[in-house]
Amino acid sequence: MSQLLGYRRENGKVGIRNHVIILPVDDISNAACEAVASHIPGTLALPHSYGRLQYGKDLDLHFRTMIGTGANPNVAAAVVIGIEPNWTKIVADGIAKTGKPVAAFSIEGQGDLETVRQASRKAMEFVQWASELQRVPIELHELTVSIKCGESDTTTGLGSCPTVAQVVDRLVDAGATVFFGETSELTGGEHLIADRCATPELRQKFMAMYDDYIAEIKNQGVDLLGSQPTQGNIAGGLSTIEEKALGNIEKTGTKPIIGVLDPAETPQNGPGLYFMDTSSAAAECITLMAAGGAVLHLFPTGQGNIIGNPIEPVIKLTANPKTAATMSEHIDVDVSGLLSREINLKAAGDMLMDYLCRVVNGRLTAAEALGHREFVMTKLYRSA
Amino acid sequence: MHKFLIHKQGDHVGVAVADIQEGEHVVGVFMDDDFTIEITARGNVPLGHKIAIADVEAKGHVIEYGLPIGYAPEGFRVGDYVHTHNIKTLRW
Repeated sequence: MSQLLGYRRENGKVGIRNHVIILPVDDISNAACEAVASHIPGTLALPHSYGRLQYGKDLDLHFRTMIGTGANPNVAAAVVIGIEPNWTKIVADGIAKTGKPVAAFSIEGQGDLETVRQASRKAMEFVQWASELQRVPIELHELTVSIKCGESDTTTGLGSCPTVAQVVDRLVDAGATVFFGETSELTGGEHLIADRCATPELRQKFMAMYDDYIAEIKNQGVDLLGSQPTQGNIAGGLSTIEEKALGNIEKTGTKPIIGVLDPAETPQNGPGLYFMDTSSAAAECITLMAAGGAVLHLFPTGQGNIIGNPIEPVIKLTANPKTAATMSEHIDVDVSGLLSREINLKAAGDMLMDYLCRVVNGRLTAAEALGHREFVMTKLYRSA
Repeated sequence: MHKFLIHKQGDHVGVAVADIQEGEHVVGVFMDDDFTIEITARGNVPLGHKIAIADVEAKGHVIEYGLPIGYAPEGFRVGDYVHTHNIKTLRW
């Protein structure tokens, strides 16, 4: 394997990108953040839809996602803008614990234009500072990688998910950290995950999270066919949630699950494989995983999901030969040779591992090159 | 050349890796032991969709990956196209 190069942050964590983000604490601060990003090339605004009148667990998750996003090692520095100073300070202080440069601005009392003036000056300073940071040698075990599949079909379970499993096992063996999630999409195979939890306490915690999520779905009293599995899943040949789940679970590999995380929570049990309680919707899930510290994402697709994330590069692979041909600009790694049996799983794993190393070292993924920057907050319930 | 794959011995269905036409005589490969099976398709099965390799009686569980992926309300026969019209979830 070639020497990996990345950015070592102030707290010792390793990133593979060097973003200066302009982070809105709330929906009404999006405009100011986008104005700053348009003034200062090389910065990245992360507009989203929430952040006002949230409370309780939903507010906790909002702050955790905001702070986790800024704290992600792919972020060199952060400018935080909110409508009022208190919540803005909570987010900025949370990010600043990493030791990276953070500046906070609030709009109330001075308006957008003055805020944008001040924040742009700070953003310019940060982006010039970040431009001098150099990639340094890093080790595979220092990476945190997330996995989630989407627009799955039966080729996902046959080819692209088992390919990811090859890489997940190699990463865990090397001492890296890996997240998987998609709580509802384990249905039919949840016992397989429960059986792999490293301790009875973890197993209990996982099953409680799973049961809660499923109860929430069942409380709606509707037929999920068409939503989970999706219309695209069904078009691709998946007939039931159980079939989709068993394909999905293929990608988690064979290692024990050493931690069970709340959405956007940072792992506390050292390196290894973690479950994170997330939606199965791609943008929501990857946003939470990036906020938990993942710096690189592996995304198997069947029918052709086109997802990207602003701060975490998303590598997409498919085993579906039609998708590889008709949506080639979205596919980083084509493992359709698994279906024709021209390549075996180990060879597919080697292809993905090689590509992973190139992306770590700076190669832009298809989603990055196409400008896919889906940043979607998970909201647990209505605001007050 | 095979036209479908089966995850495990004991599964009731295989997955087409190329479009299969009704009446076509097709070969499948078991992914766990590389054994092959030959059947005649009783319907068109598009790439990625399932073909029955075993008879399943009405209300019987349908096995794929060695585990139940649902049940067949009316059952199906070897060679049938298997999808949402003849298999339902056991879960929601």
